[in-house]
Amino acid sequence: MRQIAVAMAFTVLLNNAYAEEGSEHTGETKSDKQHLASISVTGRVSDDQGQPLPGVSIGIVGTALGTVTDGNGNYKLSIPEAYANKSLSFSYLGFAKQEVPIGGNTIINVKLKADAKALNEVVVVGYGTQTKVSLTGAVNQVSAKDIGDKPVLNTLQALQGESPNLIIQQTTMDPGSGVNLNIRGLGTLGDNTPLVVIDGIIGGDINLLNPNDVASVSVLKDAGAAAIYGSRSANGVILVTTKSGKLNQKASVSFDASYGIQNPDVLVKKVSASDNAYYKNQSLINSGLPPAYTPEQIQQLAAQGNGTWDINHLLKNAPLHSENMSISGGGENSSYFISAGYQDQGSNLIGNGGSGGDFGYKKYNLRLNQTAIVGKFKFNVVLSYVKSQNKTNTVGDNNIFADANRVPLNYSWQDANGNYLTNPIASQYNEKGVLEHGGYGLTNNDQLFGNLNGTLNITKDLKLTGIFGGTINDNSQFFRREQVNYLPSGVYGDDHTVFDNSYRNQLLNTQVYAEYNKQIKDHKFKVLVGVSNESYSSNAFQLQQLYTDPQLGIPTTGTTIDAQNSYNSNYQDASGNRATQETSLNSLFGRANYSFKDRYFLEGNFREDASSKFAAGHRTGFFPSGAASWLVTEEPFMARLKNTVNLLKFRTSYGILGNQNVNAYQYQTTYFNYPNAYGFNNTVVGGAGYNLGNPDLTWERAATFNVGLDAAFLNNNLTVSLDYFDKTTKDILAARQDVTAIFGAGFPDANVAKVRNHGWEVSVAYTLKTNQVTQNFSFNVADNQNKLEALSFGVSQEIVNADVFSFLRRVGDPITQYYGYKTNGYFQNASDVLSYPKPAGQVVAPGDLKFVDQNHDGVIDDKDKVPLGNPFPRYTFGFTYRIAYKGFDLSAFIQGVGKRDVFLRGELVEPFHYNYGATVYEHQTDFWAPTNPDARFPQLAAIGSASNNNNWRNGSDLYKFDGAYARLKNVNIGYNLPSSLTKKIGIQKLRVSVIGQNLVTLTKLKFIDPETSEFNNNLSITNTSSNSARAYPMPRFYGMGLNATF
Amino acid sequence: MKNYIKLFIITLLVVTASSCKKLDLVPTNNFTDQNFYTTSENVNNALNNIYSGMYNSDLYFYNDAMSDNAYTAQGSSYGNVDQVGAGTFTSSLPKFINDWSLYYQGIKACNLFLAGIDQNKTLGADVIARMKGEVRFVRAWHHFNLMKWWGDVPLLSADITPDEAKVVARTPRATVLSFITSELEAAAAVLPSKDKYAAADNGRITNGAALALEARVLLYEGNRMQDVVTICEKLMNNPATYGQYALTSDYGSLFSDPAVNKTNSESMLSLQYVSGVAGRTWADGFDFYPISAGSRTNNLAPTQELVNDYIMNNGKGISDAGSGYNESNPYANRDPRLTATIVYDKASFKNADGTTQIIYIKPGSDPNRSALNEYSPNGQVSATGYYWRKYFDPNHLPQFVSGLNLHLIRWAEVLLDYAEAKNSLAQMDASTWNKTIMVLRQRAGFTDPNALNFPTTGDMTTIIRRERRTELAMEGIRTEDIRRWKLSETVLNGYVHGAKFGDPTIDNGYLRVQKRQFDPSKNYLWPIPLNEVNKDPNLKQNPGY
Repeated sequence: MRQIAVAMAFTVLLNNAYAEEGSEHTGETKSDKQHLASISVTGRVSDDQGQPLPGVSIGIVGTALGTVTDGNGNYKLSIPEAYANKSLSFSYLGFAKQEVPIGGNTIINVKLKADAKALNEVVVVGYGTQTKVSLTGAVNQVSAKDIGDKPVLNTLQALQGESPNLIIQQTTMDPGSGVNLNIRGLGTLGDNTPLVVIDGIIGGDINLLNPNDVASVSVLKDAGAAAIYGSRSANGVILVTTKSGKLNQKASVSFDASYGIQNPDVLVKKVSASDNAYYKNQSLINSGLPPAYTPEQIQQLAAQGNGTWDINHLLKNAPLHSENMSISGGGENSSYFISAGYQDQGSNLIGNGGSGGDFGYKKYNLRLNQTAIVGKFKFNVVLSYVKSQNKTNTVGDNNIFADANRVPLNYSWQDANGNYLTNPIASQYNEKGVLEHGGYGLTNNDQLFGNLNGTLNITKDLKLTGIFGGTINDNSQFFRREQVNYLPSGVYGDDHTVFDNSYRNQLLNTQVYAEYNKQIKDHKFKVLVGVSNESYSSNAFQLQQLYTDPQLGIPTTGTTIDAQNSYNSNYQDASGNRATQETSLNSLFGRANYSFKDRYFLEGNFREDASSKFAAGHRTGFFPSGAASWLVTEEPFMARLKNTVNLLKFRTSYGILGNQNVNAYQYQTTYFNYPNAYGFNNTVVGGAGYNLGNPDLTWERAATFNVGLDAAFLNNNLTVSLDYFDKTTKDILAARQDVTAIFGAGFPDANVAKVRNHGWEVSVAYTLKTNQVTQNFSFNVADNQNKLEALSFGVSQEIVNADVFSFLRRVGDPITQYYGYKTNGYFQNASDVLSYPKPAGQVVAPGDLKFVDQNHDGVIDDKDKVPLGNPFPRYTFGFTYRIAYKGFDLSAFIQGVGKRDVFLRGELVEPFHYNYGATVYEHQTDFWAPTNPDARFPQLAAIGSASNNNNWRNGSDLYKFDGAYARLKNVNIGYNLPSSLTKKIGIQKLRVSVIGQNLVTLTKLKFIDPETSEFNNNLSITNTSSNSARAYPMPRFYGMGLNATF
Repeated sequence: MKNYIKLFIITLLVVTASSCKKLDLVPTNNFTDQNFYTTSENVNNALNNIYSGMYNSDLYFYNDAMSDNAYTAQGSSYGNVDQVGAGTFTSSLPKFINDWSLYYQGIKACNLFLAGIDQNKTLGADVIARMKGEVRFVRAWHHFNLMKWWGDVPLLSADITPDEAKVVARTPRATVLSFITSELEAAAAVLPSKDKYAAADNGRITNGAALALEARVLLYEGNRMQDVVTICEKLMNNPATYGQYALTSDYGSLFSDPAVNKTNSESMLSLQYVSGVAGRTWADGFDFYPISAGSRTNNLAPTQELVNDYIMNNGKGISDAGSGYNESNPYANRDPRLTATIVYDKASFKNADGTTQIIYIKPGSDPNRSALNEYSPNGQVSATGYYWRKYFDPNHLPQFVSGLNLHLIRWAEVLLDYAEAKNSLAQMDASTWNKTIMVLRQRAGFTDPNALNFPTTGDMTTIIRRERRTELAMEGIRTEDIRRWKLSETVLNGYVHGAKFGDPTIDNGYLRVQKRQFDPSKNYLWPIPLNEVNKDPNLKQNPGY
């Protein structure tokens, strides 16, 4: 210890601001001096980054006298003259203890060095920060270095796989599309979206953040960590802190750029047109129908070769690039961070709709973070402006992929003269024509985010903070559909639709809180109490015109306003959806921390929320939590082991969290009028509808238990974290399911359901340093399992049909499952057909699917339907490997899902899908035949035939696919040019890199990206249609990057 | 410095105080329970909403797909209605819960209206009485539809609470029936005739419509034919009381001529539509008119079986001796309603732009351009080789958005009801014939006296049923008729066919389109939707499901 003390470096700096303040106190000390004959020493303690450290213990070595630093890291200590030659000791959990001789100095500023990096980490928590070692709750922090070097436009994409049980699904890769996000899986039947807090302000849009601006992301998982966010925290909280400047730091400019190509990875391949015709004949013959093609016609098709009608001819390689510039620095009393970014992701779809630039997504980010310290005040302003622009086609990706997929390969998109063609299968539209000439939609989203906060240190122990912030979103869309004529027939866009749409929302957040710190000997106390209001309002309007001028899209003879699609801000539709909404939430919150000897930690949180979404009397919710941790390695009895076990900590927490993710006004029964209900005498009349309210509507409440441990070994080079959680959410807001449709109306949500969700998380990180090579391995894996414990007023199950198969919600099972018949191979021969149970009245033949007769009643009917799979990911994992050797570095990141069932339907699953598709794909050709009795698919059979009905119209696990995958998501190989070289051109640091993304995916699901899902985070099964496998393909990215610091 | 501190603290206090926002946020564009019915405009709108929920165009057209009149390839947009036609459904078929819910939603709207309208003090007693009559008709209509498909169904003469809806039991069919007929009679007693309504009210429910619906309800019973005769005669003999009805002079115009479709003396009740983007419209035709007329696909195709039931213009069925039917020129000399209803190979078709084209459907026959309408076993063309013509709207907007009215009850049906009832009472004679079938055939365009005069040979039941099928094709009636005639097990078993474009060795060359099955031991009633049975212990399932 002494050696460390000797080896330690400390810096003594004059602090003008503090000196000035100190002089104010001189009068008082003088009078004290006469009585106590002491000298006064003041100073400031910070970490090696210059950030102030509050709560540092300062003692006079060899005495019992001492103090602690205040919220700004400042301290003042009176030293009796007798001790003037002694040293001061500075100790703080997670930092190396320092001793500094007083030596007659009256100002002693100290920089503490981190004891071990695992302990040093300061973690952002609700309304403040804590050192990682003192945490009692389950919090994962992802730092800038894990995010920065991925070529992504979206912060969430960068977070995928970085934190265990932070589950992110990119269900479609279309530029500008969002992701599914949840923490620890699904705990409620409604919205599972976590609360997002950006720089202390609730409700920012994480999708719009520039990933390069992110300093850290904290994922608050358990009640111990999240309860301070009370009513919105049941799904967990994601706290994003953006970068800021640092005090006493030379201005530095950094520039990052990456450029690359996205290569669309088309996984499907049609069989040739002649094979397709052969299979068509086969399906007809198998069903007792005459063949559609003569052998000559099939030969003709074979001779003719393939046309261009496939998805590959609608896709291209598209550039993806981003440029970011930031300037940061700080003086004694102020710091700043300014950044600007531009990101441009081209769409892989060809065309531009007929005019302007190509389809794609662009984002412009500007950010300013400025801090000023004036005496006891600290002011901080964060301002950001984001503009995103997305240009899209007018028909929708779903239609494009469906039309490209369902037409056999003998057809082409265009003839030799460039005319767009239709054909007997796609007789309506030619999507190439739509992409190239059918108009476009242009979305502009402007977001202004501001956070103004001030902190006042009233005394060295008491700090008062006020925050005023908010987000204003202004989203507008211009859409114009243009006419495209096809040969021999068909026309797109002959209604010449033009619309403009505006959607604005604003969220204002006001917070005031006070924080009190006190240390009495070995006891440390910290209390925080605050109030907050969040007020949200949104409004929207749209004007849509039809039959506009074909060239200009402006009104002309015959132009009409489309009344059903035009509305003002005070509009509401026949289902009661409103253009304008307003909600407000008042809160009182608090936190108390206590620790003894930095060894035992206790924390309590509470929040009381009152929400306008509920009626008076049901409005208020109280959400408490308690947490404790024990730092075993600080115990004297562990001292012997400290070289082996560097850290061992146990944590546990329990608390009640809330969720109020319901639509506004649901507690009131409302009547409203709407236009165009009916007609009399050929004149339209309006109608009146109503929405039933539920006056008893109130909060969802989630009781959450967490237990975990953190450990470090091998000189902190190996760290391990384990967590187990168990959460039961009751009073879940869901529409009641117990009442028959005979009631005659839909229901508003009621507090009816109950879900238990439990699971575990493991993360392991290992650093291996040899002479010149540093390697990091980090791995995380997690699981969660949910179980529906109550559904609705005693109802134990709900079945919702989604095309062929169904979704099931059943008490005692996972909250949503696929549902239908379990297959049992095929009818192999005539005697099988006679003896094995069949669907009631169904005629089957060899080669048709058998279903399991669950109740052994000799017939297959609804009573034999069983759960067939779970659509939500389990065993999500991420693995990162980093290696650095001299100037070279490499990182590789693998991410995946260990278990997930995917049900898919449509033309990519069913040959000659339901008369809509006319194709067979290579991945579908494993048909049953007497010689192929264990085929993946049943024998071909014509649409409408008994066999086809048996095999494809009965929802069964025929539609089930394995959605597990592991993906080499990101590879980044960089080289730092020697600084001796770069300094000559004025560059501190220069790194060049090559980047690859989505390079390899291991999965059994070969024809569509395994992340595809029909669910969004709002887990409504009533609004969910089944997954038709028509998603935009996952592109591979190859590019290079440049980072320079000046 | 001290001043700054004060300023800061004051600012915080102000901010804190102002942040406690009031939480009683109410939408400003709504009415509440208390004030809704007091405003007459709202009452009118609530009534319009009830009309709006009475029925819809999907139900109207796709009913025929459940009969031997039509085939639908893709029923998924209509609750998998194709499986009802094919006979491969279970009690969880979406079609059943969709229809069931629609009718009960309609009933609730009616019951709420009847309970609330008396709060209104401004409309006048006579208007309120009339409105109640309209609503009671609609409530009876919904109950009739429920009874027709399911037999015993919960009868709701007043609104029920959620708790009641969980235990409600099925009311015996006979009770539902007598409720329907008494309600229709009560409605008829207060409703004006079509001639008494102001022109602006054209399309409202009349006393004539109420009696005509009662006639249909009783006709479907099979054992109430004398009552049907009585009601029909009431309508036929008292035009001053029940309205002056007559057949429109041109059959096709009744459906497709926008002026005739809206204003005629034949329609007794129609689903009212108004053309235009700010209108109220339907667009089902996008999926069943000829592709070259602008349809995107064919999802509802007339069958050969329907085509075969159109008689020759000499009044004989095509298979009758001496009919003159020529299988190689099958559409010549047929009932003119065939051409007015169905587009067959080489039929002439008047496009929306006024031009006329020949619709070539036989494979390889189109001399002009790529074979858009030609039958092919692949693709989006008609699977039977036939397209619909009825209700084609020459003024449709892009994507077949149409404002033509869809006739729910028309005078022709009353005449057919009357003929059928008289015949089943063995009272069919030349005088009844001349008032019913003859005038229908005259209007259809028959001129041959052999077709017009009271027939001396042939089975009168067959003649009347054929007449009913062809007159009312595509109006959703056939599926109801074959059920009440107990014909489903005959006509919905085996293959349904298309035109003679197929392999001559199979079914004589008539395209096999779909194999169907019908189990008479249970299929004459639909299963109660599975989820409903699961939720209500008193809701017993129909036998066999």
